Amino acid sequence: MPEATRTRLFLVFGGVFLLLFCYSVMDLPPWGDYRGPYGDVIARVGVYERHATDAVNAINYDYRAFDTLGEEFILFTAVLGVMMLLRREEGTATRDAGKVKDAMRLSTSVRTAAMPTILLTVVFGFYIGLHGQLTPGGGFQAGVILASVPFLLYICENTESFRRVTSHTCLEVIEASGAGAYVLIGLAPFVMGMPFLTNFLPLGTTGDVFSSGTIALISACVGFEVTAAFLLVGYTYLQEIITGEITEE
Amino acid sequence: MTAPSSLTPLPVAVPMLGAALMACLRKWLNRAAMDAMGILVAALTLTVSCLLLAKVIHAPSVYWFGNWSPRGPIVLGISFVADPISAGLAVLASTLTLLSLIFSWRLVDSGSNHFQPLMLIFLAAMCGFSLTLDIFNLFVFFELMSTAAFALCGLKTAEPAPLQGSFNFAVTNTIAAFLVLTGIALLYSITGALNMAQIGLAIGIRHDPLVLFAFTLLTCGFLTKGAVVPFHFWLPDAHAVAPTPVCVLFSGLMVQLGLVAVARLRFVVFAQTFAAHEGRLRAILLSLGLMTILVGGVMCYSEHHLKRMLAFSTICHAGMMLLAIALGGPLAFAAMLVYLLGHAFIKGGLFLTSGILLHRLRAIGERSLFAKGKDLKWTAALWFSGALGLAAAPPFLLMTGEAGISKTAEEMGKAWIPWLFMVGGGLTSAAVLRVGMHTFFGWGTEPITDEAAQIGELPETANEDQRIFWYQFAPAALCIAIPIVLAVMPGWLSILREASTIFTQQSAMAQLVYGNAMTTRPPGWSASLISAAVRGSAAFLAAILLALTSIFRMKLRRALRVGAFLESGLHPLRVLQSGHPGDYVLWLTFGLAMIGTANLILLRS
Amino acid sequence: MPSVFHLLPFFVAAWLFFCGLYGLVSSKHLVHSVICLAILQSSTYILLLGIGYRVGGTAPIFADIAPGTLTVDPVVQALMLTDVVVEAVVVALLLAMVVKAHEKSGTVSPDDLRTLRG
Repeated sequence: MPEATRTRLFLVFGGVFLLLFCYSVMDLPPWGDYRGPYGDVIARVGVYERHATDAVNAINYDYRAFDTLGEEFILFTAVLGVMMLLRREEGTATRDAGKVKDAMRLSTSVRTAAMPTILLTVVFGFYIGLHGQLTPGGGFQAGVILASVPFLLYICENTESFRRVTSHTCLEVIEASGAGAYVLIGLAPFVMGMPFLTNFLPLGTTGDVFSSGTIALISACVGFEVTAAFLLVGYTYLQEIITGEITEE
Repeated sequence: MTAPSSLTPLPVAVPMLGAALMACLRKWLNRAAMDAMGILVAALTLTVSCLLLAKVIHAPSVYWFGNWSPRGPIVLGISFVADPISAGLAVLASTLTLLSLIFSWRLVDSGSNHFQPLMLIFLAAMCGFSLTLDIFNLFVFFELMSTAAFALCGLKTAEPAPLQGSFNFAVTNTIAAFLVLTGIALLYSITGALNMAQIGLAIGIRHDPLVLFAFTLLTCGFLTKGAVVPFHFWLPDAHAVAPTPVCVLFSGLMVQLGLVAVARLRFVVFAQTFAAHEGRLRAILLSLGLMTILVGGVMCYSEHHLKRMLAFSTICHAGMMLLAIALGGPLAFAAMLVYLLGHAFIKGGLFLTSGILLHRLRAIGERSLFAKGKDLKWTAALWFSGALGLAAAPPFLLMTGEAGISKTAEEMGKAWIPWLFMVGGGLTSAAVLRVGMHTFFGWGTEPITDEAAQIGELPETANEDQRIFWYQFAPAALCIAIPIVLAVMPGWLSILREASTIFTQQSAMAQLVYGNAMTTRPPGWSASLISAAVRGSAAFLAAILLALTSIFRMKLRRALRVGAFLESGLHPLRVLQSGHPGDYVLWLTFGLAMIGTANLILLRS
Repeated sequence: MPSVFHLLPFFVAAWLFFCGLYGLVSSKHLVHSVICLAILQSSTYILLLGIGYRVGGTAPIFADIAPGTLTVDPVVQALMLTDVVVEAVVVALLLAMVVKAHEKSGTVSPDDLRTLRG
């Protein structure tokens, strides 16, 4: 279908859809007037029942922990997919790693400033990860922050330094263990005759770092998994650039 | 209200754990070990699902994750519903995955051993999708199923076509996921709930534009997964390029799960909304089903790439299942599930047989296969049995399903539906017969071919040994044999009818969720099989005739060349299937706009 | 008839959805298509967060406020929080398809990748 026809037809149908959307949305409760009971109930009882002051993470890792398990596995699956799609097949020509123009190293002052930044980032990442049940934070956020460190190295230096701090085998094992550990934490309550993903660990004191039972533990597992996932994706893409196949010109 | 079985989360947890373990040990295990582990975990999942099914046959229950039972009317946690239908779907998913993994033993390219964990995650997602009663959990498993499917579809990275097919698949299904999420958000805003039964009770009889628009969004999202016209364009592209074991799962269960989700929406969430307008809602869904059957059937006959042809036949049969959901009522829904079961195995068997042909004869296009299969007697037997099954002829299970649907249709005065089933079944069966006669008997003149028939001609198995192995043949044979066995086995149909009564009644679901005593006692299965058998056999005979006019087209007069006309004519329809993702999104928007407007105008007042 | 300002976030979400779909339909570059999917996703986030907001409500973190204070809805935040990170990696998956497609056929324009016609 010629492009102009397609665009014009879309403006007609898309316009109808947009009008329908806007017309229906007028029946929503006005913005700023959240009425539903679900959020209010959890906000009221979450602290007492789970000794977790962060209601959002209490939902993510306790009330609706099964959803988070599914989401974590989507991440896991996507990383498996990336590794599978960008895999190196035997018998295809690969560019000699030495001849590829790698990223240019930045100036000395930038590289010197990077070091304290990296230290700060690592500390901050662990802080966010450990305090997920108390303040906004948790596994997903901590994972992303910690994963940014080798990328910072890549930007300041070159691919070699990225690959020096990350080991593909290590990352794969950490990632898979993080995902598997979440399922095992879910299966553990079976021993006590309780349903999957019940919060069975002692709840501790509200406001303590080691409180709220399995919420902190699951958060830690997710943190490891997300860090490893992002680094694996980065590693695979950089591998593709350096040793990617020669296309027939 | 029976106590929930602790087996309920296992069909999801076991394959997930297995996949994580296999991904962990990937660097140290060789191909055989990975294959063996995959088959072991799939078999374990099958065992667990069967045990669960055995436990819930007369005692459906609801399982609360994290031990979060409802507080009064407010549901706090996520729930799985364990009844014969959802447990049965989990058993079906495990069986198909197990057979596919056995088929891909050692020979199918495993993508550096990433294929097996991805298949297991796909299995976990399908089980979770069938069992859940929480609408956001449904979305999460929808996304998990889709992501695993995108990755599996693009496995064969040696040619450009798989990546294109996978990309088209990814774009359309991701849009569908976002449509579903938008619908969930709208429902959440007015009900403050994420549990389907609670949402259904909270919406009540309200049918203002917001509820209707949420219905449109959710339905269109799941109908995209269910490959209903005009959301179906991604399916043939994905099937043409995906490896055979993956196609089995796509056509066998993934597409149909989209339709099961539409059924859940219709019967649990929006049950009371359309109480006053049952007839109009039925008309909208019936017209969608009608278009799907016709487009699917006709395009099926005009394809010359085996897998694309089977993909279009999936679209055709998906239309038939949508018709059953449209009719509503416990008998039609139970019949739809029977049809789903039969179709899953027949289609799986046909795909596995085409995989055997690709392996043995190194070709998947009709012209390239011409007359090459003359000494493959047992494969031919499987292929032609599949054709018999698609026409809903005896002794296959599809006939039983069709009987139930036709009986409901006649009771509602829609006597054209059984004829439509015959047309659809006849067209798809004729296409399979035509290919079979060309390949296995070598009859007639050289087949017509087209551009699309050359996609994916690279064999997916290594060149070393082109014998057909027992682990390739046995799964295909089992897939064809199981529907016959199920069709003659007595007793399970009434269990299905009982479970279907609970599924289709919002009040029954609410009773399950809130822990009240169940009060339904439905009658057993009661559809006559004789008329269905007659219809099925007639459709099969018509299919044979149609296929023969195609094969011997050179010897016939022009006016009688019906088959050849269907094969190479109908240019406008073929142009629409253009392979361009922008076109597919355009038709998706068209479908959204049309269905949304129809819903608003017809169901509002 | 509620004021436009009471519905503005929802209209914005609708408009973003439309823009994302338009970008997909008229795209000439596969990477652009993938980014349009990310725009579609942003639209759902705005809708979700707009639904959960409460005027005068504070964040649902009870480290320094008493439970029972007026807060915004924590459920929608929980729903979309994990989505953000997960979809970033799914976008990586789609981009991997684009990279591989470019490698095999030398082009990233959907108009030129027409092997699946008919």
